[in-house]
Amino acid sequence: MPGKLIFREPFCSRRIQVGAVETIDLHAVEFIMIKQIIAIASLLAGTAALAQDAGDLGEAPPEAPYAAVSDLVELPEFLPGLGQLYVDPETLPAGPFLGYDRDGRLSATIYMPPIGDLEGGTSFDDLALGAESVSSVDIYYNAGHPGVEQPHVHVVLYHDPEAKGRLAK
Amino acid sequence: MRWTRRWVLLAGGGGLATLAIPRLPGAAATEVIEMRGTPRGERVWFAPLGLAVAPGTTLHFINKDAGNSHTSTAYHPDLYDRPHRIPAGAAPWDSGFLMPGESFEVKLEQPGVYDYYCLPHEMAGMVGRIVVGRPDGAGWEEAGGDAGALPAAALAALPPVEEILAATRIDVERSR
Ligand SMILES: [Cu+2]
Repeated sequence: MPGKLIFREPFCSRRIQVGAVETIDLHAVEFIMIKQIIAIASLLAGTAALAQDAGDLGEAPPEAPYAAVSDLVELPEFLPGLGQLYVDPETLPAGPFLGYDRDGRLSATIYMPPIGDLEGGTSFDDLALGAESVSSVDIYYNAGHPGVEQPHVHVVLYHDPEAKGRLAK
Repeated sequence: MRWTRRWVLLAGGGGLATLAIPRLPGAAATEVIEMRGTPRGERVWFAPLGLAVAPGTTLHFINKDAGNSHTSTAYHPDLYDRPHRIPAGAAPWDSGFLMPGESFEVKLEQPGVYDYYCLPHEMAGMVGRIVVGRPDGAGWEEAGGDAGALPAAALAALPPVEEILAATRIDVERSR
């Protein structure tokens, strides 16, 4: 089934840059992660300025242009650790992705900046939030998945102290 | 954080056991290759990574990764215009995306070396190598193709043919 999904626009828009990613070693990943932490700290500092109406996004499904990731690419509806994901395709690959628990409650906002893009000098600024209140943040490496194939970072903003538990399974 | 990689040779693994069992004429052997990943997706891999089988063996690919989808796709010009890295007489395969729990089967008859990859995870080095038959057997074909067209992570992950033949089954373990 050549051409199936993986090459569907706009997900392949940065594919050319992937070549550079192959050469990174994990020290580079570590270095990038430090840069990510700095980046996310400045992101959080901007939270208040980005305050937006969470009323539209608090319950799944969020309004267009958000679309279910499982409808855009071949991924399960519920991803353990991230929940049911929605994204505005125009904002790929960084997002924000909105993560809803099994009851449809917005629980996390997730960003997925590719490491190769960051290394190449691309920054992801003024990204939107699913909700204003953030109780904790997890940052970790991901080798890639349909939708964001390049090795990238998951920056997960949990919107309440129990959110991580609800998204786990 | 430093990740190291080492080969784990499972001499007593399932592959060897299967080959050691005398087979009835016409009885088809099946080998399972699992698609695996860590819960947060830091690492993804085929298990086993390298496997030696007899001609006529069926490979059963199954996605055991709850948070990701994977494919088993042969390196072949007919599939996404990739290098030809299976025997000339063999038909290429593409499982399509397998969701968690889904599986796909392909039967390999032509002796030789088969290299394949996972479409969304080739960049992450999710590749595998199957050796069908033995180099001294009839119709054996060595692996070909333009190695330069493969991502470095994919090339580095493929075990040497001799090691696969010696061990029958090679699993990779990456530890911090
Ligand atoms: Cu994969």
